[in-house]
Amino acid sequence: MLLPLILIPLAAALVCLLTGNRRVYEYATVLSCAAVSGMALLMADAALEGGMTARPGGAIYADALSVFMIVVITLLSLATSVYSVEYMGNELEHGHVDGKAHRYYYMLYNLFVMTMLLVPLVNNLAVMWMAIEGTTLVSALLVGLYRKRQSVEAAWKYIILCTVGITFALLGTFIVYYASSGASGGGKGALEWTTLMAMAPSLNPATVRLGFILIVVGYGTKAGLAPVHNWLPDAHSEAPTPISALLSGILLNCAFYGIIRFAVIARASLGQPFVRDMMFLFGISSVVVASIFMLIQRNAKRLLAYSSIEHMGIIALSFGAGGPFGFYAALLHIFNHAIGKPLMFFVTGRIKGRCDTVETEQVSGVIKAMPLVGTVGFAGIMALAGAPPFGMFISEFLMLKALASGGHWVIMGVFLAAGGVVFYGLLRSFGGMFLGASPPPAPAELPMQISSPARIPMPVGADVNRRLAVRRFRGLLSGIVMFLMAGTLLVLGLYIPGPLDRLITLSAGIIGR
Amino acid sequence: MPKEWVVVYSITDFITVGMLLTVVAMNSLKRMESFLRAYTINSILLAALMAVSAFYLDAAHLYIAAAVTLASKGVAIPLLLRKVVRSLKITHEAEPNINTPLSLVISSVLVVIVYSSLSKGIFIEGFTENTLKVSISIILISLFIMITRKKAVTQVIGLLLMENGLFLAGFSLTYGMSTIIELGVVFDVLMGAIILGVFLSQIKKTFIDLDLDKLTTLKG
Repeated sequence: MLLPLILIPLAAALVCLLTGNRRVYEYATVLSCAAVSGMALLMADAALEGGMTARPGGAIYADALSVFMIVVITLLSLATSVYSVEYMGNELEHGHVDGKAHRYYYMLYNLFVMTMLLVPLVNNLAVMWMAIEGTTLVSALLVGLYRKRQSVEAAWKYIILCTVGITFALLGTFIVYYASSGASGGGKGALEWTTLMAMAPSLNPATVRLGFILIVVGYGTKAGLAPVHNWLPDAHSEAPTPISALLSGILLNCAFYGIIRFAVIARASLGQPFVRDMMFLFGISSVVVASIFMLIQRNAKRLLAYSSIEHMGIIALSFGAGGPFGFYAALLHIFNHAIGKPLMFFVTGRIKGRCDTVETEQVSGVIKAMPLVGTVGFAGIMALAGAPPFGMFISEFLMLKALASGGHWVIMGVFLAAGGVVFYGLLRSFGGMFLGASPPPAPAELPMQISSPARIPMPVGADVNRRLAVRRFRGLLSGIVMFLMAGTLLVLGLYIPGPLDRLITLSAGIIGR
Repeated sequence: MPKEWVVVYSITDFITVGMLLTVVAMNSLKRMESFLRAYTINSILLAALMAVSAFYLDAAHLYIAAAVTLASKGVAIPLLLRKVVRSLKITHEAEPNINTPLSLVISSVLVVIVYSSLSKGIFIEGFTENTLKVSISIILISLFIMITRKKAVTQVIGLLLMENGLFLAGFSLTYGMSTIIELGVVFDVLMGAIILGVFLSQIKKTFIDLDLDKLTTLKG
């Protein structure tokens, strides 16, 4: 049941490698994402029935927390694959990428999904490290896909900074292993999370503390926590838009998942206060740094990237606050952010297609020109800013509740102030974009000089009509996906569906035990 | 204490200090080929350390680890990087931000800091105590080199040296992980080196030069 989750995206990547037929590899990618999403929902069902337990010594392992992550990853990669077909199709037809890069994109996309799915599925923490490093390697190639100056620079920064960061995470992993070997009387140590959990109370606290600090710094780099976030705005702004959505919506969460797994061990060994202080330190600095930088951004994608840093900070704060509300709020926020942020990247991609820029000052009146996308996008911005009645309001409210019940008034005050700045920053930039008076320039004519791979002849007559119909169809599909995402955000703001609530409660129980 | 342990002590110390020296030497080198040679020596010493420990600990899986380390870090990655460096036609590192004497001083200060802060006896004892300190010194000095040097190739070599330091640390803490993990991590490092090589040639193509000073179009 668990292994096919990895094998299906791998098979889809192979299809992309082997065939040059665009329809075939596009379908293969979407179908593979749909298949893993279906399996993830079945797994969630089984997890709710209490059916998912670890085999002792098994390499592949999934508890409710893993299943929750898998659901987030698969659903978002499905949505993004549908959007990719539209976005990358347009990029191909406008000649921004060539046929080879287009195919290459889908191959890497599938590999990227595979490495991300591997992260929550493995029991061995060193293998989890390999999977996280694998996501960096694959996604760096995707960030640099356009081979322009900026994208190569962003990809370079991304791979160097994240690899350095993650090196410290592996050192931390080794140190935790050493602690376990000391606890078992100098014999073989353990790297399996389940084994480490069982022996956590007997681990040497000083060793675990050093290991956990290295882990938080290391995976924190990848999760975009300030002050080690510097790669994030560049990579998010220069990557192809669907990849920005994946990076922001789920890759950051995968890295944070790595922190969570170790934090559970650290809690059992050191107690909540140490974990709390680490999380507060990184969380509050992320929120503050992001809020300041959001005031000076003029590029919508960079602005969204800084917003991701802010939201990762919120997740870290909720996680640090702990207690019955904190862990629940952190996971709920992961879910909300994984929907809201990709949605906004999708909208930004649509705006770029229409206005050919995402500089916030050069675009205005999106709602007038594109009523549906504009409305969805404006709702998305309100959601990201934490306004009711959207999902993030609930999770942020729960976080505040957790902070208040823990008596962390200073953290709460700083967060509220920074949250106000974020609200202002988002609305100032995006408000003008969506609501401004003058409508953007009329859409360009469909370019007849469609650049297509050499083996496909130039379209003529009826062929152009067919192409237009195809383009409209894939636009419609991704539009439906965006509406579904906006709808989900709205629904989550009003009530949390039973199964999701139970899955998050179970996962929070694993963290908080 | 049996006599052979004394031998192990001195041999492992000898090898690890050799690794430290190759990294410190990076501070005073200018030619790209010398950087590569320093990295190669460093990797071969790492493999040698694993082989020696395999002999004394009588652990077969460490021989495999040593062979894999030698093949990947000692042979494959240096050859790959040499090919990239030659095709890019860069021979020398630009004048670093910090001059050679000062960077040598900073490197030694880093070693002193590591030795004094880790000697509080947080956790490690036995014959790998020195190894751990040396490995953390290697990680920090490599990081320092990455920060102060300007050419992208040097950054890659600094990163790879850092990973050697990490392997050394991992080795001293665990006496070698299981073979599968060793292989997986080496595979990741190898893929990383290949991808960095790809990006090096792309930077060369798009920026004409490999000076990282020019990689400043993205700010804020």
